[in-house]
Amino acid sequence: MTPSGLARARALYEGRDERARELKADGRKVVGYLCYFAPPEIMEAAGLVPYRIRGDVREPVTEADRYVEPYGCPFVRNTFDQAVKGRYDFLDGVVMSHACDSVQRMYGIWTSYRPPAFRHMVNVPHTVTPATERFFRRELELFKERVEAFAGRAIDDAALEETIALYNRVRALVWDLYALRQSDPPLISGTEMLEVLIAGSGIPAAEFETLLTEVKAEVTARAPRSGPRRARLLFYGCINDDVSLVRLVEECAADVVMDDTCIGARGQLGAVTDGDDPFGGFVRYYFTGFQCPRTYRGTGRERFDYLVESARRFRAEGVVLYILSFCDPHKLDLVDVRRRLDDAGLPSLVLEDDYTLANVESMRTRIQAFVEMIG
Amino acid sequence: MSQLRAARKSLETVRRSKELLRSFYARDARRREGGPLAWCMAGVSSEILHAFDVPWEFPENFGTLCAAKQVAGQFCEQAEAEGFSQDLCSYLRNSIGYVSRLVELGHVPPEAPRDGMAAPTMLLGSGSICDPRIKWFQAIASRYLPVPVFHTDPMSLPHDVDPHDPRIEAHYKELLRDTLSEQIAFLERHTGRPLDVERLRDAMANAQEALALLWEIQELRRAVPCPMGAEDYFMGGVIPLLYLLGERDAVEYLRQLRDEVRDRVARGIGVVPDERFRLLWMGIPPWYNLGFFNAVGALGAVFVIETVYFSGAPVEIDLADPVAALVERSWKRAVWIHEWGAEVVPENCSLSGFSAPGMRLLRRWVQDYRLDGVVMHRTRSCRAVSWGQVHVKNQLAEEGIPSLIIESDMADPRSWADAVIMGQVRGFLGGIESARGTAPAC
Repeated sequence: MTPSGLARARALYEGRDERARELKADGRKVVGYLCYFAPPEIMEAAGLVPYRIRGDVREPVTEADRYVEPYGCPFVRNTFDQAVKGRYDFLDGVVMSHACDSVQRMYGIWTSYRPPAFRHMVNVPHTVTPATERFFRRELELFKERVEAFAGRAIDDAALEETIALYNRVRALVWDLYALRQSDPPLISGTEMLEVLIAGSGIPAAEFETLLTEVKAEVTARAPRSGPRRARLLFYGCINDDVSLVRLVEECAADVVMDDTCIGARGQLGAVTDGDDPFGGFVRYYFTGFQCPRTYRGTGRERFDYLVESARRFRAEGVVLYILSFCDPHKLDLVDVRRRLDDAGLPSLVLEDDYTLANVESMRTRIQAFVEMIG
Repeated sequence: MSQLRAARKSLETVRRSKELLRSFYARDARRREGGPLAWCMAGVSSEILHAFDVPWEFPENFGTLCAAKQVAGQFCEQAEAEGFSQDLCSYLRNSIGYVSRLVELGHVPPEAPRDGMAAPTMLLGSGSICDPRIKWFQAIASRYLPVPVFHTDPMSLPHDVDPHDPRIEAHYKELLRDTLSEQIAFLERHTGRPLDVERLRDAMANAQEALALLWEIQELRRAVPCPMGAEDYFMGGVIPLLYLLGERDAVEYLRQLRDEVRDRVARGIGVVPDERFRLLWMGIPPWYNLGFFNAVGALGAVFVIETVYFSGAPVEIDLADPVAALVERSWKRAVWIHEWGAEVVPENCSLSGFSAPGMRLLRRWVQDYRLDGVVMHRTRSCRAVSWGQVHVKNQLAEEGIPSLIIESDMADPRSWADAVIMGQVRGFLGGIESARGTAPAC
């Protein structure tokens, strides 16, 4: 019997790319993408299967060093290492965006050594102004044309509207699940939530919608957890596409009740809206409003107000700041984000990792101390 | 860390380049009288600043100066103590540490070289080259010096788009025009003066001349023996390019430099007396140890061309509308770089005067400059320039061109391991010589 709900999410999470490979075997074209700046709606509206490229913290980087420097984003290096090892050979295309130096440079290196049938880079300005919004919009229009050419079919307005509506329903369901974490204790754990989101990042949106509907029904029917009260934490930082660290936090008498990370809430909340101007909606959702630290958003610490508000809405008592080695955008925000959290009376703990979780036991000790401090 | 040395310059004109630098810093008096002062990123057009008569400082260049004067380490440590990771760009850490001291003391820290940088009235950033520079001034303005910030935001072409597609050209040039217009509006607001178009035209004309002379000098370096090495270029070429582009002084200086280099070529005079190895330098130099190039020269090797602070071939522009000309220059230079192979170069569509060459150009240089090998400087804290070196190394290897990666940093002297690096260089040169079938070099 095919598992459903959380069991299905777990299977998809563990199976990583099995569903995408099945779809490929059925004749679908699968396109891997890094970062959200290339809207998956555009790919899916053309009949492609967008597949969010993941790293694998359990897989040591053994081949990438032959092609790329050791100093640099360990996540990006890890994904490329898997590509070199053939793990992404099922991809028909690779789409990257100018999210950061590492991804920008990796695009050239990846497509040199593992040239896919389809490749594209979406260029993304660093500042948000009317001019850069116009540039990004034109980038998306060019992206749509490239996708159409590769898919062999035009994306008509109806198909795009329908796909946007589907993605909006998915994000609404994701938000419904997040809302179930506002209660104390939360009805769904941070580990489960992340497992669901990661599972959904490698399957068509319609399947993700079904999965979320099942998970929502399952979780809503749960009785609240009994037992001693646990600390409530918000998990902020770099891309987190493995549940190990959130699970580790939750093993330390705490609940991760909210997050601000990719693949977590950062790319999942809200809706692409703009009626008859879908590209205007994409610009607002994926660029203007997308809280990735790679984009300059002024100098005031109020740029982190959204984080404080999120912590308050979810009654978080502290914040875990997860930072990957060599992540310049996050590391440059770190000083300001900590000051903003301090101002708000929210204690924070920085966990730095090189995408190997090699120091997990020392992290455990630090998390335990942090949780005890919060009391 | 050991054996840090300033470079011994070979060319007479380059020895005088310090005077240019002195004249640049001598404007301090004006800066301290309460007028506007911009701190700028590389990538900001100095011609525009000339046009507004706004004096400026480059915190990045100041990082190289602090490194050369051996004080960058302490500024970096100060920044690290305040929460800025050691992973981050050492120029950035140097300037954060400096600013922190500036604010703490209320005046320029006494340890700062050349009387330091006065506090700015505005911060002019740029999105070109790397990520940290888009966050750098954010960090300074947010925590230390709350002054207005403006970033120009030109975007580089991905290596696989066609810049000759009219739509692509229009797409990128529109952003270049828009971002420049926004910068001009910002400067008009903060200086209270309109853009002086005539001054901009003069500055652009000077820059055109300077860039043409620099290119001529680079071309002359093809000669055997090589008339000018990296120890000279990183002062003699870089100072006019980075500090003085748009000024008449830079043109006159570069003309003298070109004449001296040309004279050397005519007379067959090289940088090293017995030139046995002709090398390409790839990466930012160790500014705190430019004497490294002399040490390598003592082994019979000369760096005949470099990938950084590379001005590229001159491009034709019409100065009737100097703002449009600046856009056109940026675009044409980006296209030139793109056509020479750009899949792993830093963002190269820049409003300023330099860029980075791609792989196809390096291949061409192997022939044109009769290169025996390539030395790459992997700078741990500057991934923007370092990332891609392994890829280039692989491609060079396919063509039988030897290369070596050495590792340290551009401004943080704590990362320099002299014995290790010189050992690597000796081994590398020995390998080249062995492959030739001649006696080991060293």
